[in-house]
Amino acid sequence: MLFLENVKLALLAIKSNKMRSFLTMLGIIIGTSSVIAITTIGDGASSAVSAEFDSFGKNNANIYPNTYGMDYSDSSDRFTSSDIAALNERFGSEIEYVSPYYSAATDVKIGRMSGQFNLSSVSGNYIHVSGGSLAYGRDFSQSDIDNRREFVIIPEEAAKKFFGRGDVAGESISMSFAGQIREMTIIGVYRQKDSIFSRLMSGTSYAAYVPYTLWNDAPSEILDLYVGSSQSISASLDKITSYLALIHKRPADHYIGSSVEAQQTRMTQIMGVLSVAIGAIAAISLLVGGIGIMNIMLVSVTERTREIGIRKSLGAKTGDILVQFLIEAMLVSALGGLIGATLGIGVATVGMGLANVSVNVDPFVVLLSVGFSAMVGMFFGLYPARKAAKLDPIEALRYE
Amino acid sequence: MEENTRAGAPITPAPLCRAPAQGAGISGSTAADTTLGRAPAQGAGNKAGGETGSEAEKIIEIRDLEKVYRNGAIEVAALRGVSLDIHKGEFVAIMGTSGSGKSTFMNILGCLDRPTGGIYCLEGLDINEYDDNELSLIRNQKVGFVFQSFNLIPRTSALKNVELPMVYGKVPAAKRHARAHALLDKVGLGDRYGHMPNELSGGQRQRVAIARALTNHPPILLADEPTGNLDSKSSIEIMELFAELNNDGNTVILVTHEPDIAEWAHRVITFRDGLIISDRTNPPKAPM
Ligand SMILES: Nc1ncnc2c1ncn2[C@@H]1O[C@H](COP(=O)(O)OP(=O)(O)O)[C@@H](O)[C@H]1O
Ligand SMILES: [Mg+2]
Repeated sequence: MLFLENVKLALLAIKSNKMRSFLTMLGIIIGTSSVIAITTIGDGASSAVSAEFDSFGKNNANIYPNTYGMDYSDSSDRFTSSDIAALNERFGSEIEYVSPYYSAATDVKIGRMSGQFNLSSVSGNYIHVSGGSLAYGRDFSQSDIDNRREFVIIPEEAAKKFFGRGDVAGESISMSFAGQIREMTIIGVYRQKDSIFSRLMSGTSYAAYVPYTLWNDAPSEILDLYVGSSQSISASLDKITSYLALIHKRPADHYIGSSVEAQQTRMTQIMGVLSVAIGAIAAISLLVGGIGIMNIMLVSVTERTREIGIRKSLGAKTGDILVQFLIEAMLVSALGGLIGATLGIGVATVGMGLANVSVNVDPFVVLLSVGFSAMVGMFFGLYPARKAAKLDPIEALRYE
Repeated sequence: MEENTRAGAPITPAPLCRAPAQGAGISGSTAADTTLGRAPAQGAGNKAGGETGSEAEKIIEIRDLEKVYRNGAIEVAALRGVSLDIHKGEFVAIMGTSGSGKSTFMNILGCLDRPTGGIYCLEGLDINEYDDNELSLIRNQKVGFVFQSFNLIPRTSALKNVELPMVYGKVPAAKRHARAHALLDKVGLGDRYGHMPNELSGGQRQRVAIARALTNHPPILLADEPTGNLDSKSSIEIMELFAELNNDGNTVILVTHEPDIAEWAHRVITFRDGLIISDRTNPPKAPM
């Protein structure tokens, strides 16, 4: 019997039992929609996060002492400008940027505007290596750093908010950090690559940069570092941490180098585990959905025993009846898969919209879920369809 | 005049089931053209089959047909050795009391069921030699079956019901529509193509069923108590339709237990306890 004819028949059967068909599909709908929602959100989140990692720069790393079981009052393993000098001398161009890392939050008031700046300590060239760009003014020079000049680089959004314009180089702001209230001069306005964090932060607080030397060589627990991008970051980190251990007279593994790349790898591994878990949920829900389909198809075959008898009496072959019921089972579950995929994408779009992250719907995922649902339908429809196909025409016609 | 074929006295003509000159094979003739009815065989028409039997082509040859139903330990012999021939263009009524084996016999004639003994040849094909799928094809191409309970497919229009045997016979859609329309016109339902079975009266449903039985130009038209669920007016209309179809050259075999229905036929075979107890010709009924 012709394929199209069977599709029409199946649609008729689905239409004439709408509520039942819907309930039959429910298992498949719930299964596919949750899987699609979770994977779409997961994909969106992981690509957003990996874009974030990329915005830090894959060659970014932090080095910190392993303080486990150590005496906190001993700060001799922490970092000062002498470490910066030593590293720059020893590794030269292998290190693109290195600075002790301090941070501070400070409230600022300009006119009627108030807001918060998150200050980070930097040495020269930070804006460039971190992937941003200067919109106005200039970056810190080595002499700004060496001479502890009270300069600050602020983001363009902050300039617009507080001064109503972008080009505010030369203006001053008062800030309180490292134990002092200071009149800081804005020497640069930077523009950052768009990222979820900057968007989520917008309007509340701004990341601003000041020379690390303003902390007066207080020992820092963290060294912020960019390795030359042609280098293997883990090999470079190994060399740097053991060199630092040598300078500080500590065991060779005292310093830990944590690179963005390594964190990203870990993140990818977590995502991998997560997708296996999602796959298991999908399998279970589709199994449950499939059993639902088998159950309803068995009921349908029993109900339509007489119809099967009539069809056989008119010349339907075993295969014709088999295909008719198989297509019906497949269509019900494929339809469930389609509804589920649509629902899942809807949920993901709304959810990600709230988090201000764009969703990337992979049409292949929709195709895959519809196709896979159809296969589930075929698998679980096979037994009822075979039962229908094997009916004896006389007995089927006699069925009351 | 053909002598009565008494059960238990089988004729044993040399080779049964030889392939006849025409209409042999079951290789799905898809030639469902829109002309109605079959070309009348020579000598057919409204003459009694018994009179022309020896000249007209044999469509059905049955020898020592037996059917035993087994339900566990209980055995019921529904047919106990039936032999007869039916020729092209005959109009046969099968009578008998309830439980005498009429339906069992018709189901075997319609290839819906298999005998447990004996030989049944339909247009030279020995039914015993075919598997279930081949029997499906034989039912599709060679048998038109009309049931007492109409057996239309529910929630399916009259037109779709009539098209169904052509769907299984793989007739292209355009041809199917044309033929189904023409058949519904022929049975007087030209204005009811799109009606669902539950929107039709009993007589109308049976007309749809008859149109459906004719779809693939089957050489035999079988009807098991086709008027059993109908009032007397509808019964007469249905019998007029069968008479007309027989007049067009169709071979008609119908079961009834009502004598006035049997009057329409030209040959009346009576069953009792799984055996034929009489086989007589009937004077043609006067046209109404
Ligand atoms: N499927 C069956 N199983 C067992 N016995 C059956 C079956 N079908 C018919 N019979 C028996 O076979 C005999 C003939 O039945 P049937 O051919 O239906 O008679 P009729 O149509 O003449 O009333 C009856 O005794 C009936 O009980
Ligand atoms: Mg009966």
